[in-house]
Amino acid sequence: MSKVEIVGPRKLLGETLSLVRKKGNLHIEPSAVGFVDDIHKPVVHALLPDEKSLFEKIFLEEFETKMNNLFACLPDEIIRESFLAPRPIIDTVSRTLDRHLALCRSLCEKRDALQQDLLELSRYKSFLATVSTLLDKIQLTPDLDYIGITLKNEKSVDVLRDSLNCLDDASCELLTVPSEDGTLVGLIAATKDISATIRSLLSQKQMPEFTFPESIKNMTFVRKVEYLQKKIQESEAALQAVDAELAEFTKRWGPMYKAALDWVREQLSVIQASAFSFETTMCFFIYGWMPAEKVASLSASLQKNFAGSVVLEEIAIHTEDLERIPVVLQNPQYFKPFENFTRLLPLPSYTSFDPTPFIGLFFPLFFGLILGDAGYGLIILILSILTRRVARENHLFQDAISILKVCSLYAIIFGILYGEFFGDFGHTMLGMKPLFIDRRKSIIPMLYFAMAIGLAHVTLGLAMGFVSALRRHTKKEAMVKLLNIIFIFLIVGLIITFIGFFPELLMRPLIISILVLCPLLLFSGGLLAPLELLKNIGNIISYARIMAIGLTSVLLANVANQLSGLTGDIILGLIVGGIIHLIGITIGVFSSSIHSLRLHYVEFFDKFIELGGRKYRPFSSNQKKESTINLSGTDKKQHKKLKGTPSQS
Amino acid sequence: MDTIWIAFAAALAIGLPAIATAWAQSKIGAAGAGSLAEKPELSGTVIILVAIPETMVILGFVVAVIILLGV
Repeated sequence: MSKVEIVGPRKLLGETLSLVRKKGNLHIEPSAVGFVDDIHKPVVHALLPDEKSLFEKIFLEEFETKMNNLFACLPDEIIRESFLAPRPIIDTVSRTLDRHLALCRSLCEKRDALQQDLLELSRYKSFLATVSTLLDKIQLTPDLDYIGITLKNEKSVDVLRDSLNCLDDASCELLTVPSEDGTLVGLIAATKDISATIRSLLSQKQMPEFTFPESIKNMTFVRKVEYLQKKIQESEAALQAVDAELAEFTKRWGPMYKAALDWVREQLSVIQASAFSFETTMCFFIYGWMPAEKVASLSASLQKNFAGSVVLEEIAIHTEDLERIPVVLQNPQYFKPFENFTRLLPLPSYTSFDPTPFIGLFFPLFFGLILGDAGYGLIILILSILTRRVARENHLFQDAISILKVCSLYAIIFGILYGEFFGDFGHTMLGMKPLFIDRRKSIIPMLYFAMAIGLAHVTLGLAMGFVSALRRHTKKEAMVKLLNIIFIFLIVGLIITFIGFFPELLMRPLIISILVLCPLLLFSGGLLAPLELLKNIGNIISYARIMAIGLTSVLLANVANQLSGLTGDIILGLIVGGIIHLIGITIGVFSSSIHSLRLHYVEFFDKFIELGGRKYRPFSSNQKKESTINLSGTDKKQHKKLKGTPSQS
Repeated sequence: MDTIWIAFAAALAIGLPAIATAWAQSKIGAAGAGSLAEKPELSGTVIILVAIPETMVILGFVVAVIILLGV
């Protein structure tokens, strides 16, 4: 990262900021601390906007709000790019905007009202469609009264038939037909003198008559049905007409308004950025940070556009600047998905290390070590390949799939090394043999192996911490890290000697070395240094989880195989085994991920990562895109909330 | 009789840390969920905090294995 300063005549500030925004590389520093030396402090001060700029800002903000409201009314369609240059059309747009906003609002309100009507009418739709088929079957006469009912099932129909005495003397008739929602729609045609009795009977049998809107209560049954059907048709047609009108408006005016909105947003961001600029009586200054490899490009662009009037200068970075330098995570393509894990923590400081490559290397390794089943790995690999095409726009999902793919490969490799394919299925049915270690039986060797991995990982962390401390010129901290490494190796050596792997003769020199180094540790790290050492040893033991969780995973797989065998039936066995293995895979993926991640966050990063870095936020048009996405979501919600409020115009 | 005591000791070695871990995680988890509702950016810190007590049960497991296998 380079520390830069852009200087030029005050009148070119706006154009310079536009160019800087277009290039999108400069993180503008709002404070001049560390950029202006004490001699020049009295003459360099924060840029104060003049009256013209303030009015311009107010005008543009109001303009942006109106256009956001306009776009909130328009349908979500892809708007083509306008062929018109935005600046000359702003005056025209400002004249038409109020009129168009009022038009779109009225259309929008009309659309909302129609949608609301259709929503309310939708509950009648199924009944009306079904009952109209019954009305077609019978001969309609004004002497008869018609009652519509909804019945749950055929049994309800039988109950109703038994209760209606009028059916016997043919003074009433009951017709039923199944409706789309699975219920039965019934129509009772009866003479007017007994219709009240039938209604009372229906109420007693808890088969209430189908209710129509209160506004049409005085109409006859047949008229009600016709009226509602007509109303639904009219509302649907009106809604289509409004949608078509809005779509036509979007097609005709959308590109122009979009170009204008983009221009307004650019102008606003430039005005906002100018608040972070500094000035003297004649010049402006923009201070900031940018990737070192981009400096030449921006410098050349400034030279080309302003013919040497505006210049970019690189300033020396001092020790006191280190805390202020913004941080950006830049990793090769393979490591990119793993940056999501890094982002769960605060950013590392500029002088520290980016933990992403370490997660990218060790996370899949630990995942494979814990899950360690070729069958499970194969299933995860197939699933990750199959789901690759799902939700292409969801970057987080795609990153998770990429990580799973790598992890599954490691699970397959370690599955082959452990001789596991769906637990002991590979061993018993396919004759697979462990190439490295049998996790089911070799519990203690696996424990030693897990600890050895912990020793290597924690020591690597401490070594990185030692390097990091040297880079920051904190010699005492570097000494503590180094002594911790030495102590850990001495203690591990002592334990191995105690177990009997090393000759007993080594025990005495190891103990003497520990005793000799103890004062040095206390001197360099203080009274808390022994506690730090104990914590590091505890961290190494914590890697025993690789063995422990791996053992539970393989035992669950074996249980699945044994239970499927106990069924005594191939199909049933496959179902039972499949379900338990599926549970095993799910638990395996979750627990392996969580514990691998924990080993990094708690045991590893603690040794060398210094958190608290500032995020690199370049001044660019991407900021506009973010706000566009946000606005398109929130404005529509706000519009819905404000629906019904009077139009401003 | 020795076998019973060995099994009992191993059960205690893993059981007590498991209860302690569960208790600690329930408290940290509840507090963490509350924190995340207000500040989702703390998810990394909360994962770490929830995961810290797990070491107890892992250590208990190691001790239980050592007791059972008589290493």
